[in-house]
Amino acid sequence: MKIKVDNSFLEMPLRFLTKVGMSMYLVLFLCSVVNAQDIQTVHEVSGTVTDASDGETLLGVNIMVVGTTTGTTTDMEGNYSLSVPSTDSQLRFSFIGYQPVVVNVEGRSTIDVEMEISAILGEDIVVTGYSAQRRIDLTGSISVADVPQMQKIAESSVSRQLQGQVSGVTVSQSGQPGDEPSVRIRGIGNFGNVSPLYVVDGVPTSSIGDLNPRDVESLQVLKDASAASIYGARASNGVIIITTKQGRPGLRVSFDSYVGYETPKHHGNAFNIASPMEMAELEWLAYNNSGLTPSSSLYGDGTTPQLPDYIAPAGAMEGEVNHDDYYVNPYYTNTGDLGNFYRITRANKQGTNWFQEIFKPAYTVNSNLAISGGTDDASYMLSLNYINQEGTLLRTYNERYTLRVNTQFNLNENIRIGQNASIAVWENPQSGSLDQGTATGMVFRQQPIIPVYDIAGNFAGNFGAPLGNASNPVAQRERTMNNTGENNRIFGNVFAEIDFLESVTFRSNFGGSYATSNWSWFQFPEYENAENAVVNLYGDGAWNGTNWTWTNTVTYTDLLADVHNITVLLGTEANEDTGRERGGTRTDYFSFNPNYVNLSNGAGDPTNYSWQYENALFSIFGRAEYNYDNRYLLNATVRRDGSSRFLDNRYGLFPSGSIGWRISEEAFMRDVNWLTNLQLRAGYGVMGNQLNVASDNAYSLFGGNQLSTFYPITGGPTIFQGFAQTRIGNPGARWEESHTMNIGVNTMLFDGALEIDMDFYKNDVRDLLFNPELPGQAGLASQPYVNVGNVENKGLDMSITGRRDISQDFNINATVNFTTYSNEVVKIAEGVDNFDGTSRRFGSGNPIVRNQVGWPISTFFGYKIEGFWNEQSEIDQANASAGGVYQEEAAPGRFRYADVNGDGRITADDRTRLGDPHPDFTYGLDLTVNYKSFDVSAFFYGSQGNDIWNQVKWWTDFYPSFQGAKSKTALYNSWTPDNHDAKAPIQENAGSTATNLVPNSYYVEDGSYLRLRTIQVGYTFTPDMLSYVGLNRLRVYVQAQNLFTITNYSGPDPEVGNTQSANASTTSFGVDEGTYPASRQFLFGFNLGF
Amino acid sequence: MKNSKNVIIILAVIFITGMFTKACGDEFLTRPAMGSLSEDVVADRNGVETLLIGAYGALSQTGNQGWGDGLPGDGAWAVCPSNWLYGSVLGTEAHKGSDAGDQPQMNTLGGMNVSPSTGFINLKWRGLYEGIARANSVLSVLPDVPISEGVFSEADKARIEAEARFLRGHFYFELKRFYNNVPWIDETVDALTPQPNDQDIWPNIEADFQFAYNNLPAVQGHAGRPNSWAAASYLAKTYMYQQKFSEAKALYDQIIPNGNTSNGLAYDLVPLDQVHNPVNKNNAESVFAIQASADDGTGTIQNANPGMMLNYPYNSPFRCCGFYQPTLYLVNSFQTVDGKPLINDFLSTPVKNDLGVLSSENFEPYGGALDPRLDWTVGRRGVPFHDWGPHPGQRWVRDQAYSGPYASKKHIWWQKDDQDVNNPSQWAPGTSYNIPIIRFADVLLMAAEAEIETGNLSQALQYINRVRERAADESAWVKNEFNRGYAFEIVNSEAEMLALEPTSGSWVVREDTGTTFVYLGGGATDITNWNEYSEPNYNIALYDDLGNQQQAREIVRFERKLELALEGHRYFDMVRWGVAEEEINEYMDYEGDFFPASYINEGQFTPNKNEYFPIPQRQIDLSTVGGTPALQQNTGY
Repeated sequence: MKIKVDNSFLEMPLRFLTKVGMSMYLVLFLCSVVNAQDIQTVHEVSGTVTDASDGETLLGVNIMVVGTTTGTTTDMEGNYSLSVPSTDSQLRFSFIGYQPVVVNVEGRSTIDVEMEISAILGEDIVVTGYSAQRRIDLTGSISVADVPQMQKIAESSVSRQLQGQVSGVTVSQSGQPGDEPSVRIRGIGNFGNVSPLYVVDGVPTSSIGDLNPRDVESLQVLKDASAASIYGARASNGVIIITTKQGRPGLRVSFDSYVGYETPKHHGNAFNIASPMEMAELEWLAYNNSGLTPSSSLYGDGTTPQLPDYIAPAGAMEGEVNHDDYYVNPYYTNTGDLGNFYRITRANKQGTNWFQEIFKPAYTVNSNLAISGGTDDASYMLSLNYINQEGTLLRTYNERYTLRVNTQFNLNENIRIGQNASIAVWENPQSGSLDQGTATGMVFRQQPIIPVYDIAGNFAGNFGAPLGNASNPVAQRERTMNNTGENNRIFGNVFAEIDFLESVTFRSNFGGSYATSNWSWFQFPEYENAENAVVNLYGDGAWNGTNWTWTNTVTYTDLLADVHNITVLLGTEANEDTGRERGGTRTDYFSFNPNYVNLSNGAGDPTNYSWQYENALFSIFGRAEYNYDNRYLLNATVRRDGSSRFLDNRYGLFPSGSIGWRISEEAFMRDVNWLTNLQLRAGYGVMGNQLNVASDNAYSLFGGNQLSTFYPITGGPTIFQGFAQTRIGNPGARWEESHTMNIGVNTMLFDGALEIDMDFYKNDVRDLLFNPELPGQAGLASQPYVNVGNVENKGLDMSITGRRDISQDFNINATVNFTTYSNEVVKIAEGVDNFDGTSRRFGSGNPIVRNQVGWPISTFFGYKIEGFWNEQSEIDQANASAGGVYQEEAAPGRFRYADVNGDGRITADDRTRLGDPHPDFTYGLDLTVNYKSFDVSAFFYGSQGNDIWNQVKWWTDFYPSFQGAKSKTALYNSWTPDNHDAKAPIQENAGSTATNLVPNSYYVEDGSYLRLRTIQVGYTFTPDMLSYVGLNRLRVYVQAQNLFTITNYSGPDPEVGNTQSANASTTSFGVDEGTYPASRQFLFGFNLGF
Repeated sequence: MKNSKNVIIILAVIFITGMFTKACGDEFLTRPAMGSLSEDVVADRNGVETLLIGAYGALSQTGNQGWGDGLPGDGAWAVCPSNWLYGSVLGTEAHKGSDAGDQPQMNTLGGMNVSPSTGFINLKWRGLYEGIARANSVLSVLPDVPISEGVFSEADKARIEAEARFLRGHFYFELKRFYNNVPWIDETVDALTPQPNDQDIWPNIEADFQFAYNNLPAVQGHAGRPNSWAAASYLAKTYMYQQKFSEAKALYDQIIPNGNTSNGLAYDLVPLDQVHNPVNKNNAESVFAIQASADDGTGTIQNANPGMMLNYPYNSPFRCCGFYQPTLYLVNSFQTVDGKPLINDFLSTPVKNDLGVLSSENFEPYGGALDPRLDWTVGRRGVPFHDWGPHPGQRWVRDQAYSGPYASKKHIWWQKDDQDVNNPSQWAPGTSYNIPIIRFADVLLMAAEAEIETGNLSQALQYINRVRERAADESAWVKNEFNRGYAFEIVNSEAEMLALEPTSGSWVVREDTGTTFVYLGGGATDITNWNEYSEPNYNIALYDDLGNQQQAREIVRFERKLELALEGHRYFDMVRWGVAEEEINEYMDYEGDFFPASYINEGQFTPNKNEYFPIPQRQIDLSTVGGTPALQQNTGY
């Protein structure tokens, strides 16, 4: 028999289905089968089983008479009745996810039982790839997040909440609302996209930014090959499996809400920027140091500078300016008009604090309504979430509505169907960051003497005065006011499960997403800058994408001879990802009113563009699990994937195997009472990755565009179509492969009072897809991706949980998650042992970031500073022993670089590794204390040993690095003949390679920090207090986020975050050029249950 | 139990069969490349013509602008085909401009401190080879295009091949004079494999231009395509760079009397005010020029001279960015005595300038005799900057103390033409100014050189005087009346002027004096707050004779400086003549004294090194196979 996928059958109806928004399923299957047998009736027992935590009745609890095969299950109301052989029988109550309870009948006829959720004993079910396993049966490395704890962090997205919550996962994020963080599982394993695969209710996806965190029931991270390689070709960056909440019998209504107030963390001078007078003094200092006579149209030409009253007209004093001459039309439509403007701007002699001008307090609200319920045969869960998180940076926010509907139906004993669907609609205007051209960059570039507004209330800038070419960040942000952006995403699945042949379950799951975005922006003309954008321009664009996955699995589960637990799973999966985008711009609008402006009514030339993409995957996979007597565990998986991105090597095979040994179950350990569980695990396997290859990599292609291949061949204004080769094809590319070895140990002591899980791993990532630069003679067509690179990650993940019940109503829980990895580039390409990342203003040939064989990915690179040249005699001496020039451009007060290669002079070969952004370790510490009705929890997150390249200092600490704002360090703590113990070098008029023109160790700082991410104090009202108002549950809490951060980093936030580009991890990881810092937040919230 | 075993076996068989069946899903997995064409689609008549346009598209050498992070198409100014940086800034004619901290790589280059790892020279290398790769694409596809009468003739095929080879010749000519030792890649060579740079490629370049000369028509359907005369002129230039003067002379003897432009105009010199005017491009003087379009509908300046985007006065109507400021050394060269330049003495009595004078302070411009071409070449205070008013001096300069008082002017358009030739869509301007690669004045002066070197001074005198005669045409000199178009007011008396309410910087044309007054601020009713500018004192005369051969050489070389200043030639000319060390070091000594903070002050031309740029280290690294680089570094680096 051949498994055939018929394209036409798949595409039409199923695409239609996704588009109308069907979805989902949840993986809670594996219902236990109970064989009730008739036995001689001796004694009748009945009762109710409830959840000890909330008193809700439990349906389907398994009740067995110990030592017999007699048993029953609880009904919808949690009631049961049972005949037991004698009055001194023992009953064993068991239920998935709860601790089993054994009760002596002792002649009673009514026995009510409360069951505790079994967080402790490993009986809880963990959703793994395409199935679910008891936690104690796991042989792969899987971290299970404590979801209730995670949800205490007031963030709009699950990945932001994930930071520090599970070991092995490193999350770095910015303070920008809605900015999806970079999530890395066990280091960085390739040169491009390192994002994990998310699987939500069985549907693989690359994006979970729109998932309502309140809908999450469970989250687990598959970290090693034996856990993740069932996801084959997409597993090598790790897999995060999320299941959403399902209804349970009985109606539950909950309403949760909080309001928050955020304040920007820096109230002072975030970048230590000099005052206007200090700026002028610095200019004088630099000129004098360079042997020049200072003179400025702003500050005069005396021996000491004078601050002018006006910066426009430059340098004017009070009385010299006739305010009637003022003429600025901020909404000018004729670019020629700009030349007629007469700007009058008073100097802000106190200095404008640009950081405080664009970072303001902001508010957050978040409300969530959830209704769930069901019967024996049907259940539903409906939730509605609204979040509006304003950013502290002007005109940034994340406003989102999410609606979720999950349902399940048992059609009969053997057939179950269900769906999960969420619809999210959101607006999330963001500001760029980590780049000098953005508003956060202008904060440290725009000079403080420039006020926000000129005398007429229009924006002030640097026009006409020698104040550099930065722009007014307030203007930059305010000019986004007519921009729009709306995103919609429907994500979900439908599934059917059929049991047959007693122990076989067939499951078909179809799911995916249909998403659209549309956006528009209006570029206002500028008038206040030295370099103005003068056209008014409107742009409009839209994207839509469909991504569907159809999975079919067959699972066979059996227990043979009481000791052989066997599970076999086989499946196929098809995936298609398609989308297109189109957009256009137009200039020259008669009015800037957003109600008027559209693409049709501009007077200038319209431009437009569009592009589309299409990718497909088809896979077959299988897994076998074997468990002998709960002691010896074996697990094997294999997956074969085919990808449309490859041509000659289209298919890849990804096997894995793992073993586990529960030592604590062995007879010889039975008497060791303090050891509740001890389990060893080991696994090895292969995972794949195909994200780092262009869809059309296999083909040599030609094409062209108006900007680089068209030409006005007639001499007139019209450009004519031209083509060039755009891509050099490599039909032979194949999968990246991560070969992973994992050894783990799970330990539980003192009945769960202390739990330690530890994993050691080594990932050998081979055949990395990389597009090595070709010789220039090959032209600029895109180089093909070839399988050349090799990266190794090693590390240790550990989590420790301690619980202590001090008294009945006083308990303490603490969890530490500890993550460490070390990363090394083993190979890049034949003959290529490095490639470079960003170089910022140092220019090409002077990279800040180098990826070099033998070093970690994204290592900081440059000259190592030994100190200053303090005397000319030192330089002369060095030159004499070098027999020439020891160091180019050496001069007193400039940096003395280390002769790393020891050849007696400073050359480009002395550039070396100056640090790297990889932390030695990161850790999360969760502390929870419950006392009577009060609960207090605190979550700390820390990162240790990571370096930051503080590129901000290039702008602020060196006078010649572009005109703009400078720091007090440059003025007061720079080298002078009298101050050799300085921080910054001598301030001069011109740059040099011995100061600011090449990357050097001046910029590298320790980025370690410890942050109190959140602290929460809650109070739960007792049921008798609530009975008056008809509530089941009411908890109120106050919370503070990011209350303090302990760090030596000099920038506003050591958590630098990342830029969104897919290959940021190899180009600009850890480079700070103006972050959007995390803000301090105070929240008040409540949880209501009806 | 037995049942279970059967289940397992059945499932396993299904699974294993599926796992090794290639057929499953193959059709599903076959997805086409989107938005591009395969080679067989472009291998027809239209395709090859379009590939050829793509090769022309490489002439402007730019894709996106950026900060030169080494990505394809970045750093428009690093690869600008006008060679303003490499030919003129390095060639004593201009400062980098702006301020000391801006574009530090240009400081490195300008100070003759270029190293193999200087990023700009790698961008230049990559850009030129991209042009070659595009020309080679045409040549490799061309044989596959079937000849069919009336549709695609042998003549069409020959023309396309000739155009492609002309373009390839152009890119290699640039590579040759930049790097000297470069690998020759044509359509028969595997470009993906590193090739050595151990051959002199002048013969290959000559062969390309010779083929183009033989096969191009004399008149082309499009002004932007070279014709046979353009190929002949480029071939002659190739000879000149190899000191093959008699071969060059033979060609010039044909070109000068008989040549015509691609659009059929007999080669001639046009009036001085029209040579560089973008509204009069592709005129009789244009032998080969890179076409530009401002109004191309792209909403960017990518086809509008992006490589020149930095080179406009700062804080001016041009906005950005204050680069490319002519040197005092250049301006001094334009002094005349009896209408002739002071070839050996132009530094002793310098032209007065406004260094250190604020725009709000009064300044009296230089009154001595000047070659009229100066004010079509250099913007200086008080002289009409076309119709943008008298150049205001310091106010339009970013850091006068660093880079001098002047502005470069040849690529500046007129305000009256602003709508047609300026593209304001980006943060710095674009213009439809054509970059002249060879213009007829250049041909005449090269021909004069060839005549001098082959001993025919009287023919050389004729050629030189023809160029000077055009400059001597008073009707095309810079005039006070240029200020009228956009004057604040045109008045007939001082009283009338003092009654005006101008803002500072406004200019007023006075009919009664024939001069222009600029209001400096501080009270318009006070005549001392007005700066009066009259027309400069121009004086130019023809040569009666050129003296001996050595004197003639000096004359023609100086004439090239005056006529072709700021057109990217000077550095390459000086290297070609073997005078680069002497002249550049003289310039650095002289200019450095005025600009102690500039790179010039510490600069030094090193013979047997700075004649050529280093082979980019990146390219040497990329050419390394098994530890041995295919590319060898140039001497001195």
